[in-house]
Amino acid sequence: MITFDQVTYSYPGAANPALLDVTLALPEGCFALVIGSSGSGKSTLLRCISGLVPHFSGGILAGRVRVDQLDPVAEGPGGMSRHVGFVFQDPESQAVMERVEDEVAFGLEQAGLSHAEMRIRVEEVLDLLDLAPLRDRALETLSGGERQRVVIAAALALRPRVLVLDEPTSQLDPQSAEDVLRALVRLNEDLGLTIVLAEHRLERVLPFADLLIYLERNQPGARSGIPVELARHLPLRSPLVQIAEALDWHPTPLTIKAGLSFSRRLGLAPAAQPPVQSKKPATKPFLELQHAQAAYGNAVVLRDVSLRVHPGEIVAVLGRNGAGKSSLLKTLVGLLRLQQGKALVAGQDTAGRDIATICRQVAYLPQDPNALLFAETVREELLITLRNHKLEHRDLLPGERQPYDPDILLERLSLLAKATSYPRDLSTGERQRVALGAVTVTRPGALLLDEPTRGLDYGAKQALVQLLHGWQAEGAAIMIVTHDVEFAAAVATRAILLARGSIIADGPIGQVLGASPLFAPQTARLFPGRGWLTPGDALQILRSVGEPPAE
Amino acid sequence: MNDAPLHPVTWIAWLVAVCAVLSATRNPFHLGLALLCVSMVASARGLRRGVVPVALSITLAAAFFNLIIARVGATVLWRVPGTLPLLSGPLTLESLVYGLLTGLALAGIFTAFGAAQGAVPTRALLDLLPPAFAPLAVTLTIAVAFVPATLRHLRQVREAQLIRGHQIRGLRDWAALLIPLLIGGLDRALQLAESLAARGFPDRAGSQRAPAILIAVGLALLAGGLLVNAWQAGLIGWLLIGIGIGLVGAAVWLAGRHTPRTRYRRPRWTSADTLVTLGVLLAGAAFVFPFPLLDAAALRFSPYPQLFLPAFHPLLGILTLGLAGPGVVLLITSAET
Repeated sequence: MITFDQVTYSYPGAANPALLDVTLALPEGCFALVIGSSGSGKSTLLRCISGLVPHFSGGILAGRVRVDQLDPVAEGPGGMSRHVGFVFQDPESQAVMERVEDEVAFGLEQAGLSHAEMRIRVEEVLDLLDLAPLRDRALETLSGGERQRVVIAAALALRPRVLVLDEPTSQLDPQSAEDVLRALVRLNEDLGLTIVLAEHRLERVLPFADLLIYLERNQPGARSGIPVELARHLPLRSPLVQIAEALDWHPTPLTIKAGLSFSRRLGLAPAAQPPVQSKKPATKPFLELQHAQAAYGNAVVLRDVSLRVHPGEIVAVLGRNGAGKSSLLKTLVGLLRLQQGKALVAGQDTAGRDIATICRQVAYLPQDPNALLFAETVREELLITLRNHKLEHRDLLPGERQPYDPDILLERLSLLAKATSYPRDLSTGERQRVALGAVTVTRPGALLLDEPTRGLDYGAKQALVQLLHGWQAEGAAIMIVTHDVEFAAAVATRAILLARGSIIADGPIGQVLGASPLFAPQTARLFPGRGWLTPGDALQILRSVGEPPAE
Repeated sequence: MNDAPLHPVTWIAWLVAVCAVLSATRNPFHLGLALLCVSMVASARGLRRGVVPVALSITLAAAFFNLIIARVGATVLWRVPGTLPLLSGPLTLESLVYGLLTGLALAGIFTAFGAAQGAVPTRALLDLLPPAFAPLAVTLTIAVAFVPATLRHLRQVREAQLIRGHQIRGLRDWAALLIPLLIGGLDRALQLAESLAARGFPDRAGSQRAPAILIAVGLALLAGGLLVNAWQAGLIGWLLIGIGIGLVGAAVWLAGRHTPRTRYRRPRWTSADTLVTLGVLLAGAAFVFPFPLLDAAALRFSPYPQLFLPAFHPLLGILTLGLAGPGVVLLITSAET
């Protein structure tokens, strides 16, 4: 169906090719998962299928790509649009119409289809993706998962034979992501649609794929194979595959159901209830909300929320899209003022204090770090924040010997070598660390991060975990809003679940995530009731008690 | 595919008629009646939040400025002492009343646009353009969709800079907002363009050479006709202008035939549209054209030099009620559903 024959492609002005000598064959009706670290060429590979590369991006493409006998280079994106549907990461940046039905019909109108034909196709895809009840809704009123399904429906309305998706679930909560993926599986299994999907979070997609493609940055070729055979031999592995590889489970389980059949065979003693941590923190809370209520206009986003975060705690805040997670962080720094209740930072009420003063004590990293960056160099980004707060980089913090030296922080962020680089030329992970430096250079006592793993590969996530653990050890109070349950499990000490603006669970991370059917990480699902959240937790204990590998 | 009670063309006719009526008269009775009709339509549409305060501000601002600027009128309310330029001198009741009436007319037009905007999506209005302008209509639709996203992005950038302690004191400080906004906007524009390209837009078919030639020749003849008329108006000049306009029109028609585009939502023209359009056009025409039975002098009310009570023309009043047509249809439709 899709073939790549010795394809090499370089973006205009790039020193290294994005794809190097890639040869691949994707059979008709397959569900292919493309993985690789940031910059490995996943998106480029997908764009070659739709003709966007090289038509939209420019650059030089050598070798041969064929999609259903068609040459995307000769056809261009316009010609390929009838054969290949393309879904991008951000559903907001793809929609052009106000209402669901109009958005689905947009491509059909451009293709000049008759009115009768359009009606049939619109009804068809609305039913396929369970969107019929939403047909008259304005797009802005839909959840992230619903919007992404509308985008998929719009792509499918042209009846393509291939659907290409570039990280379609990266901005979705676990349930919405699951809804989108289930819809894709149905399209693949019921209609025989060929699906090619790139994704960083393997644990989400690996169970559904029947072909795995691995690309490595600056390395020639691509490795491809059946997931059950290839998954354990790649450097990027889901928690389930990591455990399977360590315990020598064969064939490699890709679903929790398959994994449970191995974990049950370990013959572990019945799980005791995880110990309840009831000790009170010795320190005073650094962040506190007391019966907080906040709203945007008439829409209440937080209802009677009370919480305390102490120095040395890392609190993960989880919940569905629109549950009020980001709003919770904004109330703590004064970006969203409370209607009722109190927000306290270091024991001081934030009411009446300006945002800049609060943010010297509480660093806040918004969802899009690019919104922060505008300076010519990485170092200058940090110096600007110091100047905004009227601090000189040689000033001493009261009671401390260390001056406000940006280079000390840049070294810690592994950015010293890039101190004179233009921030927007850096990778996603590096840009995020620059933004982190820009908000933490004043050495605040607390750190709030909103979806910090968006667009990060496994390596960048691991670096972030280490960074946050370093700050935690120094006594920072940290709150992280995230949809990435595996990241939350790896980094946090406590979890808060939000639903419709209210806290519905708050406690040690093992208890909250382990007991949640929606937010439990793979390890907790594999060993239910034990409070193990990461492969490290499980393997450390299994090895210490000398559990034999499964036969 | 028509879930709106009235056709977009009907709403455009209503807007044109409202503008004509409210611009044509300062007679407080006729103006008041027209404003009542507009208010009735706006309330049947469900007034958007913020329309009333803005309309009120327009009215008060117009009254204030006319009071300050127009120093004519017999009834002096107060005399600003001294020799201050623009300020000193008499403030008259007549200028206040005229300013108030003008402000009410402007507020009425603003409210009418607010009501129609909610009733007719931008896309439906752009769909009224001839097929030749279909790519332009889609581009404008996309541009309109881009505005709220840009405003959201501006808010995000503003918040992001606030948390770094950023304050705007001078010109250089704007860079912190403008650079991320500009680069973010370009990024989103590129993403959207890429997404549209992947969805097959724009997909041109057929040759566009013939319409292009016709437009070039038509515009040249039009310009020639205008030049000839500027030198000496005559038959040749008007003939050139006529042929030029004809050729441009033909080019637009021909280009439209080459645009393979269809519409999913096709608004239907109903008997209610016919009745409402007739009613509103009659109301508009009554205020603009000097019909024999209508006293045009009653419309041209001016309170200067001394305020007086103008006459009310009953026939004009009845015709003015035509402006309430869309409101009546909306109320009937909502009662039925």
